[in-house]
Amino acid sequence: MGKKSDVWQGTLALMVLKTLEYMGALHGYGIARRIEQTSGDLLAVNYGTLYPALLKLEQEGYICSEWGVSDNNRKAKFYSITRAGRKQLSKAAQEWEQTTSIIARFLTPGEESR
Amino acid sequence: MRRLRALLLRFCGLFQQSRKNAELQDELDSHLALHVADNIRAGMSPEQARREALVRLGGIESVKESYRDGRSLPLLETLLQDVKFAVRMLRKNPGFTCVTVTTLALGIGANTAIFSVVNSVLLRPLPYPDSGRLVTMRSNQSLPDLEDIQAQARAFEAGSGVTFQTLDYQASAEPLQIDGALVDATLFRVLGVQPAMGRTISSEEDRFGGPRVAVLSHPFWENDLGGDRNILGKNLRLAGGSYTVIGVMPGGFSLPQRKADVFLSLRVFYPEAAAARGVHFLRTYWRLKHDWTLAQAQAEMQPIDRQLEKLHPAENKGRQTRLIFAHEWLVGDSRPALLIMFGAVGMVLLVACANFANLLLSRAISRQQEMITRAALGAGSGRLLRQMLTESVLISMLGGLIGVALAQLGILGLVALKPANLATLPAIGIDRNVLFFAFAVTLGTGLLFGWIPAWSMLARRDPKLRERSRGESSNALHRQLRAILVVAELALALVLLTGAGLLVKGFWRLRAVNPGFNPDNVVTMSIQLPASRYAEVPRQTQFREQVLDGLNSVRGLKAAMVSEVPLGGSWLSHDFVIEGREPIAPGDEPSLQSRSVMGDYFDVMQIRLLSGRNLSPRDREGSPLVAIGNEALARADFPNRSPLGGRFRWAREDGPPKWITIVGIAADVRHFGLEQPDQPAVYTPYAQSFQPWKRWMSLVVRTPGSLGTVLPLIKGQVWKVDSQVPLTRVHTMEEVMASSMAQRRFTLLLLGIFAGVAVMLAGVGVYGVISYTVNQRRNEIGIRIALGAGRKDVLRLVLLQGAALTGVGLALGLAASLGLTRLMRSMLFSVSPEDPVTFGAVAFIMACVAVGASLIPALRACGVDPVTALRYE
Repeated sequence: MGKKSDVWQGTLALMVLKTLEYMGALHGYGIARRIEQTSGDLLAVNYGTLYPALLKLEQEGYICSEWGVSDNNRKAKFYSITRAGRKQLSKAAQEWEQTTSIIARFLTPGEESR
Repeated sequence: MRRLRALLLRFCGLFQQSRKNAELQDELDSHLALHVADNIRAGMSPEQARREALVRLGGIESVKESYRDGRSLPLLETLLQDVKFAVRMLRKNPGFTCVTVTTLALGIGANTAIFSVVNSVLLRPLPYPDSGRLVTMRSNQSLPDLEDIQAQARAFEAGSGVTFQTLDYQASAEPLQIDGALVDATLFRVLGVQPAMGRTISSEEDRFGGPRVAVLSHPFWENDLGGDRNILGKNLRLAGGSYTVIGVMPGGFSLPQRKADVFLSLRVFYPEAAAARGVHFLRTYWRLKHDWTLAQAQAEMQPIDRQLEKLHPAENKGRQTRLIFAHEWLVGDSRPALLIMFGAVGMVLLVACANFANLLLSRAISRQQEMITRAALGAGSGRLLRQMLTESVLISMLGGLIGVALAQLGILGLVALKPANLATLPAIGIDRNVLFFAFAVTLGTGLLFGWIPAWSMLARRDPKLRERSRGESSNALHRQLRAILVVAELALALVLLTGAGLLVKGFWRLRAVNPGFNPDNVVTMSIQLPASRYAEVPRQTQFREQVLDGLNSVRGLKAAMVSEVPLGGSWLSHDFVIEGREPIAPGDEPSLQSRSVMGDYFDVMQIRLLSGRNLSPRDREGSPLVAIGNEALARADFPNRSPLGGRFRWAREDGPPKWITIVGIAADVRHFGLEQPDQPAVYTPYAQSFQPWKRWMSLVVRTPGSLGTVLPLIKGQVWKVDSQVPLTRVHTMEEVMASSMAQRRFTLLLLGIFAGVAVMLAGVGVYGVISYTVNQRRNEIGIRIALGAGRKDVLRLVLLQGAALTGVGLALGLAASLGLTRLMRSMLFSVSPEDPVTFGAVAFIMACVAVGASLIPALRACGVDPVTALRYE
C-alpha cells in the first residue's frame, strides 16, 4: 500500500476533522469506518494508526473527547470537533485545494502530450 | 501556540501513566467490540469476526506503543526512570553515596569559592561606564606634568590625577581623621560618573586660590553626616579650613585604588605641592579615545616624554611613561597568586574526581552481574551507558549542590581571613558567573568521570556476556584503570603538598629573620598635626618635645617618634648629593630614605648603633645639621671609607646648600618587608627639619607590661598636650610585623588546606584500591595462609602492592613538582623552588600516608580465615 499510505498519513488529520465536522460526535471505530467508506475502500489500512492521530489532534486542541454510549449500547470514547478544529479544517482544506489545483495544472499538459 | 500546548500536555502525560494506560485499553476494547459486532452482523462466526477485527486494528501492542510515545515525552520519560532508579540505588548504599558526594562537594566547593574570587578580581570589569578604555600610567605624575600631557596627548578623551591624604575632620568634641582625595577636577569626567546630589568640582573652581568646595562620598554622607538631605551649601571643618559641600557621589561609587570620604581640588587644598613639578604624587587615569589602541597611545607618549625631559631635566630625567589598562594595573599583584591558587584548587578537584571515578569503578564491579542481566534482557549499550551516566551525574549534582553551600561558607572565611592590604578588593560573592561555573564543573565531572567506569564496563561486557567471571583476567582492565587513577591522585596530591611545603619553609625562614629592631612590648600609633595650628617647625617641635617629656616621665615607659615605622608600609625618599663628589647632572642623583626622629628612637626600638654617636636633644634648630646613616648607606655610598664625618645635602632644596653631617651609623632594619633588605637611609632630627609639611609622625613606646593598661595612659599624655589631635593606627610592633606577613600567611593557609584535602583524598584512594584487591585475592591469600605463610608474608604481599603504586605516584609527582613549583618562585622567601629538603620531606609524608592507607587492608588480609576463603572459592 506504499504510496497510498503516505497520502493517508499526511491527510489523515484532515479527513478526521472533516468526518467529525460532518458527522458530529463519533467514536474511533466509527471514524475509521466512515473514512474507509468515503474513500471507497481505496484507503484500507490498519485502524490502529488512527488512535495516535486522534491523540495528536486532541493535544493540539482541534478535537475533544468524552466517554459515552454507542448506538448498540456499548461504552465508547466519542470525539467531536472544537471551534479551533473547524478553523483549522477550513484553513487546511483551502490549502489542500490550492495544492491540488497547482498539481493538477502540472499534470494536465502531460496528459495532453500523451 | 498549538505546538506549545501539545508539548505541555505531553509533559503532563508523564504523570498518571497507569490511569491513562487503562483508559487506552478501554478505548481499544470498545473499538474491538464494535468491530466484532459489525463483523458478526455481516455474517462471520464469532472467532472469525474477532480475528478479522484484530488484524484490521494491527497489533494491539504496537498501537499502544506508538500511542504512548505520542502521549508523553519518551526521552524525558526514560530519563525520569533512570533518575528514579539511580535515587533508589543511592539510597540503598548510603555509605557509598555519602563518601562520593562528600568527596565531590569538597572539590567543587573549593573550586567555586576560589573561582568567585577570580571572578570578582580578574574577570569582572571596573565599575565605571566603558571601563575597558580606562588607562593608567605605571609611574605617578606631578600636576604640572599632568597638565602638559593633558594638553599634548591626542590619544585620550580626558585624563586626570588623584592623590590621597588623611584630613582632620572636626565635627564634634572628638577629632577624627578621614580620607581625602585631592583631585584634578577632570577626574569625574574621566571615570564617567555623575553625582547623586548637587554637582562635582568645576574647572573654574579647580584653580589656585579657587573657592573651597568639597564633594562627599556616599558612605561618608550617610554615616558621618546622617544622610542630611539639605547638606548642599553647608560647611565642613576640614584640616583646619572651612569647605562648602557642593555634591554627593552615588552609593556604589569609589575611586579605583582606594576609598575616599571627601574629594577636594588639589590646586585649592595643596597649592605648594600642586605647583611643584618634582612632586610626582598623582595616580593618573586616562580615557582612551575609541579609535586609539593602547599601543598607539604608548607610541604617542614617547615624544611627550622626551620633551618634558628636555624642558625639565631635574624633575623628569630618564622619564619613561608606560601605559597600562587600569584594570590590569589594579589586579596586577594579585593575578599570579590567584592563578596559582586557582591551579592548585583545580588539582584538588582532579584528585576528588579520580577518587569519584575509583569509587564508581569499584561499584561497577559489584554491579557487573546486574548489568549482564540487563544486557541479556535486551538493554542496548547506549541505554546502559545512559543509566550509568545518570547515576554519576546525579551524584555530582548532589555534590555540586553541597559544594556551592560549602563555597558560600568558604567565601565568608576567605573574606574574614583576607589580609588588610587586600581590602580594596571588590565585593566577593556568588553571582551568575560563579553559579554557571559551578554547574559546568559539576556536570563535566559527572559526565567525564562517570564515563570512565561506564565505558570500562561496556568495553568488556560483550565477550564475557554469558560467563560469570570471578577470574583475575577479566578484571585486568578495571585494575589497571584504578591503578592509573590512584597514581594520578598521589602525584597531584604530592605536587600540592610540595607547593605548601615550600611556602611553609619560606614562612619559617621569614619569621626567623631578624628585623633589626626588637618588636616585643612596643606599641605604635600615628599622629598627624593639623596644618592650621602647626604650620611652623618650632611649633611642631614644641608639641613633640612636650609629648615625649610627658611619656618618658611615666615610670617604665620609654617613648620616641619616627616619621615612618619599619614594616608600616610607608616611606619617603629624596635625591641627595654627597659633598666632595663629582657633580651629578640634575635628575641623576641617587636617592636616600629620609626618616625623621625625635627622642631616643634607637634606644626605644633597640636598633644597634654600630659607630659614631647617637642623636641628642642638643641637635636642634640652629645647631649644626646632623644625621645617622644606616649600614646600607655606608655600604652603597661610602664603600672605601667610614661615612662618619661625611656630609651630604638634599638635591632639591631652595636656598643655599644645607650640608648635613653623618655622626653615626645604625644597623639596618627591615623597613619594606621582612624579605627585603633595607635601602640606604638617614635618620635626621625632626627639630632640624626644613620641611614644615612633614607634620606626621608615629609614636613608638616601649612598655613594661600589657598594652591594655598602658594605652589610656599614653593617650592621656598626648591629649594633655593637645586634646584636638587624633591618634590613629594604634598597633603593637608585633602586629605590624604580623600584618606585613599577612599576605603570605593567607596564601600559605589556603594552599595548606588544599594540600591537606588532596592528601586525605589520595589516602582514601589508596585505601580503596588496596582493600579492593585484598577482597579479590581473598582466596589466594587464604591458600597461602593454609600453606603456611606467616603474618609477615601476607603483610608484605599486600604492602608491596601499595608500595608499587605509591612509588610510581611519588616519582611522577616529584617530576611534576619540579616543573610546577618554578611558577611560585615569586611567592617563596629564601627557599629554592627545587629545595631538596622540602621535596624529600613531602615525599616522605606522602609515602607514610600511602603506606598507612594500605596497612589497614593489609592487616585485614592477615585475618583471612583459610577455611572461609577456600569455601568462598
